[in-house]
This record gives sequence, structure tokens and C-alpha cells, in this order.
Amino acid sequence: MAKSDDCMRILQGLLVFGNVVIGMCGIALTAECIYFVSDPHGVYPLLEATENNDIYAAAWIGIFVGFALFALAILGIIGIIKSDRTLLMVYIILMLITFAFEMASCITAATHRDFLTPNLFLKQMLETYQKSEPINSNNKWMTEGVTKTWDKIMVQNHCCGVLGPSDWQEYTSAFRLTHSDADFPWPRKCCVIDAQGLPINLDGCKLGVPGYYNSDGCYDAISGPVNTHAWGVAWFGFAILCWTFCVLLGTMFYWSGIEY
Amino acid sequence: TMLPLLLLLLLPAAHGKVEHVRYTPFLTKSPVLEGLTTASTFVLEQPRCVFDNYGNADIWLVVALEKTASAFNNSVRPGTPESAFQKFPSDSVPAYMTLNATLANYPCPKPAGDITVLRVGSETSCTEDEARPTCNGPLSGPGPYRVKFLALEGSEPVAETDWSNPIMLRTAKSPNSISTTNEGHGAGMIALTTILSILFAILLAGLMAMFVFWGSDSCGGSSTFSKQEAVTVRRYNTHHV
Repeated sequence: MAKSDDCMRILQGLLVFGNVVIGMCGIALTAECIYFVSDPHGVYPLLEATENNDIYAAAWIGIFVGFALFALAILGIIGIIKSDRTLLMVYIILMLITFAFEMASCITAATHRDFLTPNLFLKQMLETYQKSEPINSNNKWMTEGVTKTWDKIMVQNHCCGVLGPSDWQEYTSAFRLTHSDADFPWPRKCCVIDAQGLPINLDGCKLGVPGYYNSDGCYDAISGPVNTHAWGVAWFGFAILCWTFCVLLGTMFYWSGIEY
Repeated sequence: TMLPLLLLLLLPAAHGKVEHVRYTPFLTKSPVLEGLTTASTFVLEQPRCVFDNYGNADIWLVVALEKTASAFNNSVRPGTPESAFQKFPSDSVPAYMTLNATLANYPCPKPAGDITVLRVGSETSCTEDEARPTCNGPLSGPGPYRVKFLALEGSEPVAETDWSNPIMLRTAKSPNSISTTNEGHGAGMIALTTILSILFAILLAGLMAMFVFWGSDSCGGSSTFSKQEAVTVRRYNTHHV
């Protein structure tokens, strides 16, 4: 009897420790997801326009799941110390619901990351960048969002197009409808800009002389933050869930060992 | 009387002898330009050290389609409707003349490090302006085009270069041709989904087992242990008034 009592004491200690870790990870998950939702790199308008912004939904779920994990960890610690069957049953059921939500968040983030290919951004950029919309169009805000985002990305990251300036030459685009090929082989923001926001040498930029235009594509600048976001949500969530699985199994075993 | 008339007729023909300079115009090779050919423009290297014997001549660029180049006559004058950019390409205008320059614009030798180019198609303001037949306007089709340089003294051609190799411009595709369907899911995503599903299933099974054993002793029976708080007996003092 004493030996199994000791075993249960050890199990109790382990479960309390497990719940402490879950609580801390919950706070970390909330913080990480708040960081991603705040969109520090400004790529959200592009994802919203592609109608593929589910990795943001996954981050939102992550925020609430993090809080829930923290609260439930405290409940679990109380339940284990008091060895209360009812409390632990409630804890296990609520934890399973939270587990299910977090699972949905991880799978969503991982699945939708795979949708964000260069072609998706390329097609959206060609169809939406600097598109001239009628005044009362519903899509005007979306077009403006995409245009502003691309301008900001191209100037800040010294890049042009998705794969390079040749994107604007290889494909027709909404931009091409209003800007002639001879004057604008590529948008002005692809030129190297001086402090006043003007190209340092417009002819050099139009010719494509190295040093006067941005020759790299912007895909790396966009996919870097998006990848970090998706993998951060998906794999950190996965790690938390694996740990939670072990703690829950231990709790179920502990629960079954409590004298009724 | 017939003979002098024939001589008079022959003389103008002999007067217009055009020297054929051994030079082929080419697209700029150095530096490598991103915009070497676009959908409506292309970039030629300037003809340096080619027309050194013709310090007084005007050097014109003649642009023709590959199939109409042979129809071009050197005696066509620049700035006339027969060589107007606005009417090119058509039966009456097999080639147009533009980018007028003199030898002073093309000093020889070319200074090292200088970018010496001629951008054909850079003037967009005069594409419809028939008062500017020598407009260097953007080209409307993908070509292929051939160009040559022609030196004129007064209005008479005195020297010409070879026709260039055919120059093909870029053709743009429609963005509808870009396929955005993704080819399958990554391995990481499949592993993540599988493992999480298995874990969740095990937990649900555990929960079912817990419900089955609710209210009964745990399986095994011997591993129970007592709760921490001991049951205390309270003594009640009952007050009777």
C-alpha cells in the first residue's frame, strides 16, 4: 500500500510539473500568436486578397487556446493536489476540447501554408496591382491595399515583382493596361529610389542597367515571414499537444487510482 | 539627239553611289540590360567608329520588318510621309527613319565604362503626331525587325551599314495561364495531421474508459490510496436554552 502510495505521490508531482509546463506554454503560445496576428511585416493585405488568410485564423485560435491552456493548467493543479474526481473529470473534458481546437489550428496553419506558392502571388499581383477601378467598386479597398503593400515591400526590400522585373514583361497585367510598356517596362517602385522617393536615374531604370533597378524578386521577402508564421503556429502547437497528451494520459491514470 | 538624252538620264543614277560600310548593327551586349528587348522597345549599340569618313553626314536609323526590309529604297528622304513612323508598317512605308545624329554624337573611340546605347521606341508622346514623322515611337508588334544605319549628306545617301540580324521583341502572356493549384501537400503537414489524429483518438479512448469505470473501483484495486485530508470528527456543542 505504501509503495503504491509513493508511486501515486510521484505521479502527482509529475502531473503538477506537467501542468505548470502546460500553463507556461499556453502563455507563450498566446504571445507568439499575438505577434503573428499583429503582422509586423505587413503581408496580411496580400493574403487577404488571395482569400487564403486562414493562417491568420489559425493564429487567432492559438491566442484563445493559449489562454485556455493556462486556465486549465491551474484547474488541473488544484484538482491533482485535492485529488478530486469531479474536478479532474471536468479538467480532462475541457482539456480534450482545447486539444481539439489546437489540433484544428495546427492543421489549418500547416495546410494553408502549402497554398501560398509563388504563382499565387504572381497571379494576384498581375491582376490587382495598380488596377484602375471604377469609383464605387467594392474591390477598391482591396486593390488599394494590395498596391500599397506591394509598393512598400518593393521599396523596403529592394526587390521587384514576385520572381523578378521580368514578371512585368512576360505577362500582361492590370498595370500594363494603364502604363505603356515603353515608359514603364516595370513599375517605378522597382527603380532604386533616393531619399525623396524618386528614381535616381529614370533612364537607367527603364533600360535595366544594373545598379539603377531592383533585379531580385520579392517572393523571399514575402514567404519568409509567412513561413515563420505558419511553422511557428503549427509546430509549436504540435509540441504543446504532444506534451499535453502525456499529461492527460497521466491524469487519466491518476484519476482512475483515486479512491472513490 | 538620242545619245545626249540617254547620257542625261544615266548621270543622276551614277551620282548616287552609296558606300557599303562593313558593320552590322547589334543589340547592346555590355552591360547586360534587363530591358534589352521589351514588348515594344529594344536597345541598340551606338555605331561608334563606323562613319569616321563622313563628318558632315546625318546618320539615320532605318527600322524595317524583316519581310519588308528588302523593299526599302535608300533614296527615300527622312521626314517625309514615305518614311514616317506613324504610317509604319504598310505598303507605302516599308521602313521608317528615326534617331537622327551626327558624327559628333558618336565620338570614336568609345570611352571605357560608358554605356553607349540607342533605345528604339522610347518616345511615347509623338506616336500619333503626323507632324513628327521621325518620331522614335514604340513598336506595335513583336517583329522580327531589322535595322541599319544610313548616312545622308544633304538629302543624298552616301553610306549604309548591313542590315542587322532579325530582332524579335517579347510577347506577353495572359496571367490566366498561370496555374495556382498546388501540387499536393507537404510531408510535414501530413505527418502532423496523422500524429495529432492518433493522439486525439487515444485520448478519446481513454476518456471512454474513464466513463466506463466511473463509480467503480479502479482496475487492479490495489493501487488506491487515501485522500490527503483525513476525515475529522466534529464535536458539536449543542446549546439548549
